[in-house]
Amino acid sequence: MTKIKKMFKYDNVGILFVLPAFLYMIVFVGYPIIYNFILSFQDVTVKTLRKDIKEFIGFRNYIELFQQDNVLTLSLWNTLVFTVACIVFQFIIGFALALLFNKKFSFSKPVRGLLMMPWMIPITITGLIFKFMFSTDVGIINYFLRSFGIISENIDWLTNTVTAMPAVIFANIWIGIPFNMILIATGLTTIPAEIYESASIDGAGKIQAFWNITVPLLRPTIESVLILGFIYTFKVYDLVYVMTSGGPVNATQVLSTYSYKLSFEMFKYSKGAAVANILFIILFFVSLLYLKYVYTEEEA
Amino acid sequence: MKRLWAILIATVMVATLLAGCGSKTSTEKTIEEKTSVSENSDSTEDKGAFNGASGKVTIWYYWETEGHQKALDHLIQTFNDSQEDITVEAKYVPFADFKKQLSIGASADELPDLVILDNPDHAAYAAMGIFADLTDKFDVSTYYDGPVNSCTLDGRLYGVPFGSNCLLLFYNEDMLKAAGREVPTTWDELLETAKACTTDKVSGFAHSSLQNEEGTFNFLTWVWSTGATAYEINSEGGIKALKMVKELVDSGAMTKEAINWTQGDTMNQFISGNLAMMLNGTWQIPTMRSEAPDLKWNVAPIPMDVQQASGLGGENYAVIAGGNEEAAIEFLKFATSKEQSLYMMNTMGYISPDSTIAEGQFKGDPVYEAFVEEMKYAYARGPLPEWPDISDAISLAFNEVMTGASTPEDAAAKAQATIDGILGK
Repeated sequence: MTKIKKMFKYDNVGILFVLPAFLYMIVFVGYPIIYNFILSFQDVTVKTLRKDIKEFIGFRNYIELFQQDNVLTLSLWNTLVFTVACIVFQFIIGFALALLFNKKFSFSKPVRGLLMMPWMIPITITGLIFKFMFSTDVGIINYFLRSFGIISENIDWLTNTVTAMPAVIFANIWIGIPFNMILIATGLTTIPAEIYESASIDGAGKIQAFWNITVPLLRPTIESVLILGFIYTFKVYDLVYVMTSGGPVNATQVLSTYSYKLSFEMFKYSKGAAVANILFIILFFVSLLYLKYVYTEEEA
Repeated sequence: MKRLWAILIATVMVATLLAGCGSKTSTEKTIEEKTSVSENSDSTEDKGAFNGASGKVTIWYYWETEGHQKALDHLIQTFNDSQEDITVEAKYVPFADFKKQLSIGASADELPDLVILDNPDHAAYAAMGIFADLTDKFDVSTYYDGPVNSCTLDGRLYGVPFGSNCLLLFYNEDMLKAAGREVPTTWDELLETAKACTTDKVSGFAHSSLQNEEGTFNFLTWVWSTGATAYEINSEGGIKALKMVKELVDSGAMTKEAINWTQGDTMNQFISGNLAMMLNGTWQIPTMRSEAPDLKWNVAPIPMDVQQASGLGGENYAVIAGGNEEAAIEFLKFATSKEQSLYMMNTMGYISPDSTIAEGQFKGDPVYEAFVEEMKYAYARGPLPEWPDISDAISLAFNEVMTGASTPEDAAAKAQATIDGILGK
């Protein structure tokens, strides 16, 4: 009896609470990740998928991906360019809007609500809309640019290897602004108004108040927004797939679309898994960074 | 007290988790029981008609056209009503997800009993070993060679051709007349006619040029027309074909947007009056006739270089190995019978792969008759398990050329290196 009582002491009960979530994670998150790693070290293609014993080939898939063609390096570079460009613009515009809506003015709440729209619309639909807007002959973007005299000839946005990536980035910035705005706006409400008041009594201007009060006090929020934004953006798939499917000539091929293509269009399952793992490892380290920030924040 | 509650809740949570697993196994059991029961009843009563074949047959297909779906539903309904032992059900899987679902299904052993799939993919899945060997179970001696070859791997028959189609040049009669042009028959004529028809709002010519199987299917008609094969891109003919599409795009005769167009998109642009000429297939005719009844259009052989050529498209039936094979085969025998096959082909606008049926099809309809005639010049892709790889190399090559990322010579050399690597040369 005492033993049973001891088992259910405060500390041990905690384990029971964690157990369901832990089992869930093992089955639905842990297993696929481990399976994917094993798959990437095997030689599984269309001919070997159904065989019981799959040949173990070590790092050959990874080596071949890096050596044989430059699509992997290109996808890595594209993913990085896409992520950095999106984050920079999303963050700056989102921050500006958050500051704007932090001021009280009429209709600020309904307008702020409306600005959440891009975040609510399914990405596939956003992708289709932007694909249509960026269309060379009938797209509204070329129409406007032409009527304002900015361009004289239609730009073939999505079918040109140079302009395809900026077009996709543009669409994703539009989607990501509300995410940045709402998180930063929430962060702003946690800064007490008294600090600004006393600062203004001491003679601080708006710009000084922004750099010396808002930014330092928002630092934890900013860090979270940037890291979460990086993770969300780095694993982009649907938007690129809908708008360009990675083309033209791999100009918008990112890691996720390349992995999909290898696995399900070309039946190179192991190579597809290897690309997915590269994506996973990069995000894993970024997540570790995020966790580190969260912990130090909580301790502080 | 609090602690007791905590323990209770935790146990309940764990229990529900286990119960979740438990209920699954129990349903599995009931299914097993059910099938064993039906097997028993068959062996004792033996209804005779299908040598004991019974149960459920699930079919996967990817046609997005409503007319196609209705035709298949009608076929299935007729079959289900005609007998009591077998119940057939169809499930729509979007074309974009079809290969993925089939691959995942293959590795997880969760496949349907019958699939209707795109013929260039047939060899890859047959090599994977998920299709039942139908050699000697179906008589395909009266079928056209191209469709039968696409179901064959190493001399064994792994499927039955469902229906065939091919590509032709579609042209807008009014636009050609307005430009004062005849229907082009050679590459030079196509270029001139397309340029003459191009205006602010209308593009002279286009074919789907996506960097995938659809684009390859359309582009290869140029290669075949030069006399080269799909495996000889870095040949005189292959480079000539690449130069041809480059000239079409560079001169503005063909819209570059076709890089992002599916064959369906291309057809929509054509019936909306944005396109004077296009390459497209047999299956578009029913939609075009119902969507744009007033549009004046006709078809002609694809303008050629040295020989007339078209691409062979279409779907095959394949029975999944280890599924409800007997029942699936019974349904297949019903579906490929002359009466049913004719109904399906005519409703869907397909050409029967069975020459005895095809010859009687579409009498008095010049558009369809042109397609039946073109079947003689239609080349098949593959059959080769590695076809998707080869197709990818080819589609990359013409995309590089069309976007100006690379010259026809460089693109051809690169594609050839990939193709030779796959073919083991």
